[in-house]
Amino acid sequence: MADAADFAVEPDYKSKFKPSRVREIIAAVLKARLAGTTYHADNTSSWAREIADDIKQRLKDEGWTRYKYAVQVFIGEQRGEGVRLACRGFWDVKTDSYANEIFQNESLFCVAAAFGVYLY
Amino acid sequence: MEDPASAEESAFVADDVSNIIKESVDAVLQNQQYNEAKVSQWTSSCLENCIRKLAGLNKPFKYVVTCIIMQKNGAGLHTAASCWWDSTTDGSRTVRWENKSMLAITTVFGLAM
Repeated sequence: MADAADFAVEPDYKSKFKPSRVREIIAAVLKARLAGTTYHADNTSSWAREIADDIKQRLKDEGWTRYKYAVQVFIGEQRGEGVRLACRGFWDVKTDSYANEIFQNESLFCVAAAFGVYLY
Repeated sequence: MEDPASAEESAFVADDVSNIIKESVDAVLQNQQYNEAKVSQWTSSCLENCIRKLAGLNKPFKYVVTCIIMQKNGAGLHTAASCWWDSTTDGSRTVRWENKSMLAITTVFGLAM
């Protein structure tokens, strides 16, 4: 006997990618990793990688099933240059979303964006 | 009963995507100087061009495209990405484009449906 849940194409409202929750997660990770740091060309690339992995791990821990995640982190030196970051998604707005957060101090700025895409 | 042709169709072909990104960014930024007022318009145009061409590939994929345009003034920039996906079908490609006054880094994530 087939269960109605077998034919569900969308996630339940409880297991949807929640941008507000993800924004909190990203802000917490950035604050923990980057508070009080200064930009150094040698260790910044490993910071970027660690932050991306950390955010991805926390997204997995949230337990939203059938979601795929892509996390991107940009860390740049503050020298008064102009920067513009934009993103576009070609996805299903009912199920997929994104969240981003910025952290800055006198020597660096960091932008982290997390995208959640549902697998039908 | 997987048809071998359809298995290839539903894999992320990074080279096609590379070309799409290069063409899209070139079309918008070629011969331009960094201009604070126009940057947001440029990033939007690059993204729109990319997405339109990716959709035109007609593959069962969802795409996420990010584009960062930064003025060149000696500052450093590091980027990293971490993904949780199906490595047999999904992929990403990052293309770096630069000229004398600015650089543009565009990343496409392709996630199979």
